[in-house]
Amino acid sequence: MTATTFGSDGARAEQARARRARGGQARAPRERLRRKSFGRRHALTILGFLLPAIVFVCWFTYFPMLQGAHMAFRDWNLWDLTSTPWVGLANFATILSDPVFPVVAGNTAVWVVGSIVPQLVIGFLVALALWRRFRLRGLYQALVFYPWAVSGFLVGMLFRWMFNAEFGVVNDLLMKAGAIEAPLPWLAEPGLAMVAVIMANVWYGVTFFAIMILAALQSVPDEVLEAAAIDGAGTVRRLFSIVIPYIWTTLALTVLLRVIWTFNSPEIIYAMTGGGPAGRTHIITTWMIQYTQQGSYGLASAIGLAVMAVLFVFCAFYLMAMRRVNER
Amino acid sequence: MTRTRSQTRTRIAAASTAVAGLLALTACTGAGAAQDGTVNLQMVESLTNPARTELIRELLDEFEAENPGVTVDLVSPPTDQADPKIQQMLQAGTGVDVLEVRDSTVGAFSNNGWLYDLSDDVTGWPGWDDLTDNAQAVTEEDGARYYVPYGFYGLSLFYRTDLVEEAGFDGPPASWEELLEQASAIQDPQQNTYGYAFRGGLNGFGNVVAAIEAYTIDDLDVEDAFRLEDGSTIFAAPEAQDAVDTYFALFEQASPPSAVSWGYPEMVEGFTNGSTAFLLQDPEVIATVAQSTTITEDQWSTAPLLTGPTGKAAQPLATAGWGVAEASEHQEEAIKLVEFLSGAEPATRFAQENSLVPIIDGAGEDPFYSEGPWSSYVTMTEDPDTYVNVVQPRGVSWWTEWGQKADQDVQAVLLGDMTTSELLDSWDAYWTEKYAAEE
Repeated sequence: MTATTFGSDGARAEQARARRARGGQARAPRERLRRKSFGRRHALTILGFLLPAIVFVCWFTYFPMLQGAHMAFRDWNLWDLTSTPWVGLANFATILSDPVFPVVAGNTAVWVVGSIVPQLVIGFLVALALWRRFRLRGLYQALVFYPWAVSGFLVGMLFRWMFNAEFGVVNDLLMKAGAIEAPLPWLAEPGLAMVAVIMANVWYGVTFFAIMILAALQSVPDEVLEAAAIDGAGTVRRLFSIVIPYIWTTLALTVLLRVIWTFNSPEIIYAMTGGGPAGRTHIITTWMIQYTQQGSYGLASAIGLAVMAVLFVFCAFYLMAMRRVNER
Repeated sequence: MTRTRSQTRTRIAAASTAVAGLLALTACTGAGAAQDGTVNLQMVESLTNPARTELIRELLDEFEAENPGVTVDLVSPPTDQADPKIQQMLQAGTGVDVLEVRDSTVGAFSNNGWLYDLSDDVTGWPGWDDLTDNAQAVTEEDGARYYVPYGFYGLSLFYRTDLVEEAGFDGPPASWEELLEQASAIQDPQQNTYGYAFRGGLNGFGNVVAAIEAYTIDDLDVEDAFRLEDGSTIFAAPEAQDAVDTYFALFEQASPPSAVSWGYPEMVEGFTNGSTAFLLQDPEVIATVAQSTTITEDQWSTAPLLTGPTGKAAQPLATAGWGVAEASEHQEEAIKLVEFLSGAEPATRFAQENSLVPIIDGAGEDPFYSEGPWSSYVTMTEDPDTYVNVVQPRGVSWWTEWGQKADQDVQAVLLGDMTTSELLDSWDAYWTEKYAAEE
């Protein structure tokens, strides 16, 4: 059956010889033509299927992006949209010379680093814990991954109440545990407010790290780990010499993705503190929202473009650094 | 066979593209006149909440019953995103016939030519004369009228009758000074009881300005309540210093320390859960407090807005209403809908069920307003010489920018990063520059 359908090696060789005997020179153009016309039809089919998606992405992603970029170079204000004159780089100059700029830049750095490092460490530990098989692991995984399904804004609202000094559960628990004697004004004290929003973001983002790292851990071959164990490698040695090198690419890309998202995510801060108290949790994207609320779309777009440029440069350096590490 | 399959695939792809295109076109097509002559209006609300949406829907059903051939679809975006969505609809010129216009959005919307001027229409409405003078006057600017108000948001003092009595006072405070005295006496952090629900977070500047206006009321330009009659700003007046010192003393002596970040939800929660004795808020909070399971009906009431040293208060009335889109293809029906909603019965019902100061003349005489927590509003309405209605410049293009700056400055004072006199200097400089640029 197999030989009849697909032909044996001998039969295929015979057919090839026969083709050559019939004159490959004469047959080649016809085959090329057939391949070509088949390819065009094929390409059209593929294009036809892709077209709705391409149109959708262009219309809803790239067009608004270009439009936003275009607005950054104009005086685009809600108050009078009938006149949006070209102002060149004036919007960028306004932003860079604003005394708020260094403050939000510093806050953004604290927000990103303070969120990502604990997320990575805790996410890694959670993934390692879930890697082992135990009863009801599926249910436990679902519970751990649940926060990722919640909207960031909702998370911010929930934590706003949890960190409320007088009525919040955080102070209540700390006081019952004897850790504090008086309620801490989490969202009112400048230093504590940044800690509170970062804690909320860590809770929210740990899940993503855990999901990604757990998926990567599944690819680490058991045989290698078993062989290393037989050779006398302890748990820590296996972790650093086998597990982490195996999942290194996933770790690097997950950190990159989370840096981009955290940099771009104002919703938790916006819902919890609105950037306060007195601008102490104001990051670059909450600053952009502020301009949007004022109707100053030109300035908001300029901030958006600047954020994109910063992230682009960061990604380039990060990926170069990762490549060097991999080469070593 | 291969060719046939390939052709089929190509046709499927083409058909999919065509269907997707048609769907997109269908989605882009706005509502309008159906083939049977039925007119379909799109109405968008801004200050959305479920109970309010239900009420508006009921009123729209009545309108539809009275106007066969006209149907109304109500669009209710979440409040936080509503105004940007309305703006996008107006900018696109489709999808909206009737909309909720606020005193803070009317300037931008009308400046861009997105709103229909109702001034020629309203004067011919049979029910127009039923509206209060305030309601008729507040939306008229430079001869144009871009919306008809559905009610007013005014401030009154919510207070705990039991705590005031226990502290040895005969009644609620009438002035800012008395509020400071009573709130300080009630303050007892050890018992988790605080005097005043201080607003340090979003829109916290509003109460600071209300206090300054009460202290400068005798010289205040009531048509532009950020200015005195001599043209200078209220923040430069000597009385303003006393006002902010008294106001911020409320935070120092009579408020929870975390009130630096308290916005609307925390303030209302602080009052409804029994933690704070005084709350300065709009009447819409009446319904929320009435639902409290912690404090009973006889434990709270409202008092008129607080007066300054000369015994007068400035009531900064905020408002919103219904307007018609300039680009509406069914303006006649849209205007008819706004007229219906502004009529005595629907407008009174809307104001009562949303806890608003009514726009209909005489509606305040309804027992609904003259009893319980609403009685303070009647007191204020009946004594306009003491409780002076003033208009703040909420329609200027920089209002949101001002609010953001002012909120940040208020928090800076609360955190000790700025003095009250620096705050007043900064606000005076800000408004002086803006007024100068405008002129």
